[in-house]
Amino acid sequence: MSSHEQDAFMQHIANKLGRDRVMTKPEHPFRGAPSFWQNHQLEEEVRVELFISNWTNVGGHAESFATMGDVASFIIATAEQLSVKHIIHHDLEALHQLALPKQLPNAEVTIWDGECEGLITRAAHADLGIVVADYAVAETGSVVLQSAAHKGRSVSLLPTALIIIVRRDVLLTTMGEVMRELEQLGAGQMPAGIHFVSGPSRSADIENDLTIGVHGPGIVYALIVDH
Amino acid sequence: MMPKLNASTVKERASYALNDDFLRKAVKFTTEKLKVGKIQATEQLGNWEAWRERGRLIRLHTIEYLDYYLTQFAEHARAQGVHIHFASSAADAVNIALNIAKEKQARSVVKSKSMVSEEIKINQALEKEEIEAIETDLGEYIIQLAGEAPSHIIIPAIHRNREQIAELLSEDAGEELPADTTILAGYVRKKLREKFLDADIGMTGCNFAIAETGSMVLFENEGNARMVTTVPKTQITFMGMERIIPSLEDLEVMATLLPRSATGQKLTVYMSVITGPRRAADQDGPEHMHVIILDNGRSLQLGDPEFQELLNCIRCGACLNACPVYRHIGGHSYGDVYSGPIGAVLTPALNKEVGEWDDIADASSLCGACYEACPVKIPLHDMLIYLRRRKVEKGYGKWDERLAFKGFQFVTKHNNRFRNAVKLGAMGQKMILKDGLIKTKLGPLKGWNSHRHTDKLADVSFRDSWKSLDLDIQQELRAMDDQVRERMEARLRQMKQKRNDGGQSDE
Repeated sequence: MSSHEQDAFMQHIANKLGRDRVMTKPEHPFRGAPSFWQNHQLEEEVRVELFISNWTNVGGHAESFATMGDVASFIIATAEQLSVKHIIHHDLEALHQLALPKQLPNAEVTIWDGECEGLITRAAHADLGIVVADYAVAETGSVVLQSAAHKGRSVSLLPTALIIIVRRDVLLTTMGEVMRELEQLGAGQMPAGIHFVSGPSRSADIENDLTIGVHGPGIVYALIVDH
Repeated sequence: MMPKLNASTVKERASYALNDDFLRKAVKFTTEKLKVGKIQATEQLGNWEAWRERGRLIRLHTIEYLDYYLTQFAEHARAQGVHIHFASSAADAVNIALNIAKEKQARSVVKSKSMVSEEIKINQALEKEEIEAIETDLGEYIIQLAGEAPSHIIIPAIHRNREQIAELLSEDAGEELPADTTILAGYVRKKLREKFLDADIGMTGCNFAIAETGSMVLFENEGNARMVTTVPKTQITFMGMERIIPSLEDLEVMATLLPRSATGQKLTVYMSVITGPRRAADQDGPEHMHVIILDNGRSLQLGDPEFQELLNCIRCGACLNACPVYRHIGGHSYGDVYSGPIGAVLTPALNKEVGEWDDIADASSLCGACYEACPVKIPLHDMLIYLRRRKVEKGYGKWDERLAFKGFQFVTKHNNRFRNAVKLGAMGQKMILKDGLIKTKLGPLKGWNSHRHTDKLADVSFRDSWKSLDLDIQQELRAMDDQVRERMEARLRQMKQKRNDGGQSDE
């Protein structure tokens, strides 16, 4: 694409708008949410409650725990209950500490370490994916997952079931707070994929009859942990 | 199976739809559910009017400076390694996409729902090149099997019932599938899994592009758009040139308005903000990313005071769900990609040829429900009137309509003529009255009386009863309690005051 074509495209727009091209940043007095919402802040306990209620209302499962040890016990029990054969998880210290290969000797555990070949195929064959949320939003009941070499997008998308660990201190009130954090990132620092996930994959395309787990995971757990 | 809708006028297409009982019921049921969901979601959020106004202001501002924000978007996206293309027409966009596909020697393309891709008819172009193009949204996959276009912007297969869908999918599977939603959806999941993993190219639309970061944003519930932007090596995104907002903070406003207006959800299950192709060390996401920015008639609205606000549309479908006409005739009656009130205005606007699409603007009762439902307050009902006016000005009016209005003008211009005409009518109608109603299908009454009856002219006309009515009112006013009168007058003063202040406050 030559810059000439771009210039012609933009000049056409400016002509239609009946003015010269605008080359300097215009003042944008209406940026973002109305001010009552920008000041909207909930107490931590209320945030957690609201998140759990929103998450479960759309068919997700949510639990709250005091320690990562409790989280580990829950994950192991859930994996056993679902007869999970293949697990894939992000390459994060918190997840290594779950010691899943030792705890679940009958399950194959793949780590998305950015080196192993064919990770997408492995994720597609996994029954369970485990990730850690970068942020969560109470008002919309969403978790935010950012991609990186050690945090593949496939892990939260291809397995049948998904467990998302949410630290209390990343659970914010509104989406705007997450957006402002992201805007702090310097030029070129944005991750390639930022995904707001709000419950299990769903569709109402057949006679408006709700179906869960159409392309993404149909079973999703949000595990909120204090530390 | 339904008849193929290739009739040439709205009236003919609508008569197919009106004779299809299931279609009418299904469309009514689903739109009602979506409409109620929207109302509940907006009530729960609170301050909906403030959000709407904020959404409108952001969209107005962005379109006002469209050249600046598009340039900024292109710069930032390129800095992340995205190839940016500009297409003036649908044909340009198709050529750009086909060239990329050829360069990649692509055999197979997986697509997530995109109205723009319907608009430019990329599937047909890919088929011609013997490249498989698969729609991966559940509803879109179903209508692709049926060889149809979407009939609703959010629920594309709204017009098909479970048995019809089971039949289509059974044919696709080569085995009998029961008409059970879970089984049918399960089949599609499995079938499309393989397609995702094999595809060379993922094609998407674009709900919003963020100028400040060079990101593109997708809203969806199924996860197929995430698949399309995660698994294939090449991603091609079609973006209508107006689909842009300045910042991520502005995205919060759009994310508050769009899902609630579309389905009553607080947020769709997935909202993906994609900024450039995969980073060097990433193991998934596209290696090559192209964004094709499309004009295709959109710039015709720029600088046009009557239609520029059309570009504010965020494609939520709320106006379809609210529209009494859409709810009866369904999406295919509109004859093109965009249906409902927004389609009735957008299709003629994008197509330049007012004549060809002239009857779509007539398929409306101008009730204004679309405006009330619109999350960015586009005055669609006003635009429909402008379209009708332009149609007549361009000489596309009908001779009988012109004659009728000339006659009306003649009769109403003079009070004596009008009185005589009403008298004449009151006498003349005696011949055709049946049970106090006019049921004849003679002449101009045919269209109306084919479906309902015309009331007779009143025995005593409003004009004739005016004298006694006036007297009544005078007496009533005299009889009014002083306190009541004071209250009413105060209220009137208040209303006038409010109107003078002009309601432009935002929160």
